[in-house]
Amino acid sequence: MPRYIKLHEDVKVPVLKNVVYALKLCLKADKWLMLGYIIGLTAEQFFALFIQNILFLKTLLTAIDTHGDFKAYVKYLVLFLICSVILNILEWWGYYMSHVATKKVLQKLNNMVFEKAVSLDISCYEDPAFYDKYQRATNIMSSGYFDIICYDVALIVADTLAFICVVATITSINPVYLLFLVPVLFVFAIELYKSRAVYRRDLEMTKNNRIKAYIQRTVFLKDYSKDIRTSNIFLVLMKRFEAAIKANIVILRRYGLKLFVYSMVSSLFSEFIPIIGTYAYAGYEFVFKSSLTVSGFSVVISSINSIKNATLDIAECFDELSQMALFFENLRSFFDYEPKIVDGTKEAGEFESLEAKNISFKYPTAEVKSIDNISFKITKGETVAVVGINGAGKSTLVKLLLRFYDVDEGEILYNGVNIKEYKVESLRMAFATVFQDYKNFAVSVYENVMCRECSEEDKQKAKKALIQSGAWEKIKTFKKEGDTVLTREFEEDGAGLSGGENQKVSTARLFARDFQVAILDEPSSALDPVAEYKMYENLVEATKEKTVIYISHRLSSAVLSDKIIVLDKGRIVESGTHPSLMQSGGEYSEMFALQASSYNRKEGEYERESE
Amino acid sequence: MSAKANDIKKNKSGHSMPSNIFYFVRLLFRLSPGLVIGDFIMDLLQIMPTRLISVIGIKYIIDSVSSGAGADRIFKAVAIIAAILVGSRCLAWLFREFYRNTARERLYFLLNKTLYEKARELDLESYDNPEFYNNFILTIESSSDNIQNLMVLVKHYVGDIISLITISSILFTIDPWCLLIIIASVIIFLPISRKIGDLQMGRRTDNAKFHRRSDYFQRIFYLQEYAKEVRMNGIKPLLIERYNDAATDVVTNQQKYWKKISTYYCIQETGIHILGFMFILPLYLGYCALVKHSLSAGDFVATFNGATQIAWSVNFLTVWALANFSERAKMIEKYRQFLASDSKIRDGAEKRTYREPKEIKIKNLSFTYPGNEEPTLKNINLTIKPYEKIALVGYNGAGKSTLTNLLLRLYDVTDGEIIIDGKNIKDNTVSGHRSLFAAVFQDFQTYAFSLKENVALDVDPNEARVKEALKHSGFSKQLKNGIDTELLREFDDEGVMLSGGESQKVAIARAFYKDCPYAILDEPSANLDPIAEYNLNQAMMEAAENKTVIFISHRLSTTINADRICVMEDGRIIEIGSHDELMKMNGTYAHMFNLQAEKYKNTTEKGDSNNE
Repeated sequence: MPRYIKLHEDVKVPVLKNVVYALKLCLKADKWLMLGYIIGLTAEQFFALFIQNILFLKTLLTAIDTHGDFKAYVKYLVLFLICSVILNILEWWGYYMSHVATKKVLQKLNNMVFEKAVSLDISCYEDPAFYDKYQRATNIMSSGYFDIICYDVALIVADTLAFICVVATITSINPVYLLFLVPVLFVFAIELYKSRAVYRRDLEMTKNNRIKAYIQRTVFLKDYSKDIRTSNIFLVLMKRFEAAIKANIVILRRYGLKLFVYSMVSSLFSEFIPIIGTYAYAGYEFVFKSSLTVSGFSVVISSINSIKNATLDIAECFDELSQMALFFENLRSFFDYEPKIVDGTKEAGEFESLEAKNISFKYPTAEVKSIDNISFKITKGETVAVVGINGAGKSTLVKLLLRFYDVDEGEILYNGVNIKEYKVESLRMAFATVFQDYKNFAVSVYENVMCRECSEEDKQKAKKALIQSGAWEKIKTFKKEGDTVLTREFEEDGAGLSGGENQKVSTARLFARDFQVAILDEPSSALDPVAEYKMYENLVEATKEKTVIYISHRLSSAVLSDKIIVLDKGRIVESGTHPSLMQSGGEYSEMFALQASSYNRKEGEYERESE
Repeated sequence: MSAKANDIKKNKSGHSMPSNIFYFVRLLFRLSPGLVIGDFIMDLLQIMPTRLISVIGIKYIIDSVSSGAGADRIFKAVAIIAAILVGSRCLAWLFREFYRNTARERLYFLLNKTLYEKARELDLESYDNPEFYNNFILTIESSSDNIQNLMVLVKHYVGDIISLITISSILFTIDPWCLLIIIASVIIFLPISRKIGDLQMGRRTDNAKFHRRSDYFQRIFYLQEYAKEVRMNGIKPLLIERYNDAATDVVTNQQKYWKKISTYYCIQETGIHILGFMFILPLYLGYCALVKHSLSAGDFVATFNGATQIAWSVNFLTVWALANFSERAKMIEKYRQFLASDSKIRDGAEKRTYREPKEIKIKNLSFTYPGNEEPTLKNINLTIKPYEKIALVGYNGAGKSTLTNLLLRLYDVTDGEIIIDGKNIKDNTVSGHRSLFAAVFQDFQTYAFSLKENVALDVDPNEARVKEALKHSGFSKQLKNGIDTELLREFDDEGVMLSGGESQKVAIARAFYKDCPYAILDEPSANLDPIAEYNLNQAMMEAAENKTVIFISHRLSTTINADRICVMEDGRIIEIGSHDELMKMNGTYAHMFNLQAEKYKNTTEKGDSNNE
């Protein structure tokens, strides 16, 4: 499964539609994120770009220019003082509101995502394309993109407002100066072209940058440290690293001229023409027409700065928004996703039987069927072993029984009723499962076992289960025993367990539960022989008189089962009890003989063969 | 706390902040002088013209006009401004697009290569020390960001000093009192700026702490690994509750800090920009212009524009830049320490490599992991003859992997010695010694390179031998591009993802490929199904005929073929001998073997054993 996230992709998405979608989502979660930014930024930009830079300057300069009254001048100052203080308080109040709201929005959006994520089909996680999109959608949360989008939109609003005020002021001085400002509007277009070129350049460099990051990770991670010291893989890493750098340099060179031209044209329109034009025209007016005042001239020069800054801001925001839109497109399709595994209405009751009738299943991207026309029946109290080599379809069968996937053909009946008619959660809770890729959580040991907040009674139950799974030996050595939080991730007195101990804790979940049917998928893979043996005995004990489905490629575990199902390439090639299968001399007996041979060899039988 | 951690503490205040900054700037200058100088100039070209024009340019023109100068003087001034503007921009953009971007890429390469080479020489023990790991490796991982930030910071610092001096002296010539008012209003509020800096730092630290918790629960719902577990055992409500607890803490923390931070910002801005520059300063200017008639309109504009720039520069130079510098200096300190750190595993006098296996003798070997009190290996004695196949078995944590780590000199023994061909392995160079071994580890890794590079773990693999090695390890998957196929999807969408069993076969092929006298295989068959395991055992013995092989296994079925089996318990070798000898001895090995074998005995025997 790919873990990387492609940051750039040449996909066209409707920017406006997605931005509106994002804003609606944020407003729904907490309206103060957006409002706070609008208040804060408008107050800030309005003050900096208009009040301070232009209105203030204009008023005072006019007073000085016309040799006005000092008292009137002071009156203006006081007026500005009051107005500025109010704007300043508004600005920081707005920022305060949005900074707090951003964390609230994160929490609300996350809760929405969690609910949706849990309803996703497992198939989604196994489909690289979907998973990639899903990761990009979750990036909105981890990287705070929702905050960026609100900020950008608010900044566009604030800058537009300041822009209009500045233009109005210039018009009142002399509309001719607007002529020199017209080129600034083109800057908007040029900057968009430029950022598109930068984007394409970065897109071309993505692969090389991914190589660079990979090399860095590989060199520093402990996982690779031994290989790096005992082999020459380091040379391979350096070779790739250098190649990636060289490739990047070629790309950077190729885009150099284009970007230089864009930058120059942008400067030409945003600085040269307006500034020089204004100076020249003002000089002309001064000298030949004497119609321009000093204050008018200064204000126009300041305005050019304000307008340039506002325009560049807005251009940057648009560019960023179009990138954010891509992420929200993914979030939207994530929320809109309809699970294919549809809930039924019935509650799964006391287990009586489980029957597969001619079921077939093919993974969406696979070419061959993983399960090919299988039928079997398991009744209450039976122990069934499903065996076969890697890739025979054992784990897929489990996924079908638990409705992680639905069968393509045939049906699976629980107590004689198609499993699709039950509520998914109720069906899954009827099974107690131990997976090969077990996981524990950073909550207390007891909570890991009970999977809920623990009462005293729960803790006793959990403790009993931990004793049965063999984990208690270790857990009781902790100061807080079963109340100890697993992993040291964020709890200083948390406990780090070894692979085997972790597996014992997750197996305790099974012992603690009042289950109908147990499904054990290679539950002993991380254990040493003695621990494996004990675990197996305890499982047999705990599941006595219960229904158990045991998945394994170690045939030794099959011997005690009431029924053995041998899978190969998605088909049942044999089934029956251990003695009957051994007698029939089919595939099972062959496999068994092969595995047993290593243990059953009598002295001196092959010893000399290899020499 | 281990000795290493103490060293780190002691060195923490090793170099002063300026020393660290200068060290790094010098380093960058050595690696890429053009980039460092060019960057400074480019920055000045970017800042100075606009700043100067807004202060002097305007004043000059206004004063010229007021004094009734002729058109030629004004237009000459405009022409000069135009030339400066166009020239500076043109140079800056040329430099950026044609030199800086590529030079940065090259600098990144040179800097990181040094780091990587140092990382390769680190003792493995450094990775076991979490403090070392967090302190050094993680900081260095973000070094490229830090370098860019430092460069930006340094050049802004220099640029701002120059601009502060220039603008201040211009204002000084206009009216020293103005300059005084400006600088006074900035300095009065410096303590608040510093307070804001502290609060921001505190907020970031606390935020990181609370976020670590909420991010963890967030990850559980985002990641594929947890998907099945979350669906199957009804733990969802508990996890969501824990997330919300943590997220609420984050909100509260944010509220607590931002309430103070926004208030201080508000006070600071009101004080400097509003009260200082928009009230007191213009009050004074207005008084001069309107009452005393000692100030021109041009002076008024220049002072007013200059004030904002001085405020910005002073604040930057005294608070923000210093705070950022001290943060960067800490990073550089780590960088320096990392490069200066010494390996304990040292080269011996003479590099020795050879093809034929020699006798390996382990004498009274003991080993304690740094930071542990209990020794992991206690007084081990073992002689391995050339071409022997030795199996190490025992419970988890018995010390099997540690012993192989010592053979490879990934660690050095605490006591005793390892002697190969009569010479202590410490007499050989580290790289020479390690080149004698082919090692496949339990946690073998697949690299996002071609299959052949994955087998050879070296540049320019010998294709014929790669194919041969893959054949021996039983790798039979047909790939479109054969051994040139790229593995993993890390950066190749066409990359092939191998299953656990196939990956392991690739890892085992490495041992067959490497032309060397000794092979170490840790749990070579853990991911394989029984048939593949059986085939592998056969192939392994055949292909490793010309090597001494030491392998570790949990599955005792694989150990039967070994010439000798060492049973380890609690850091000691408790039994040693061939399978038959150990079975006869009826000790720990026999017990373990019987436990595993029991289930394979035929059903009648099983019935018997149940009755016991």
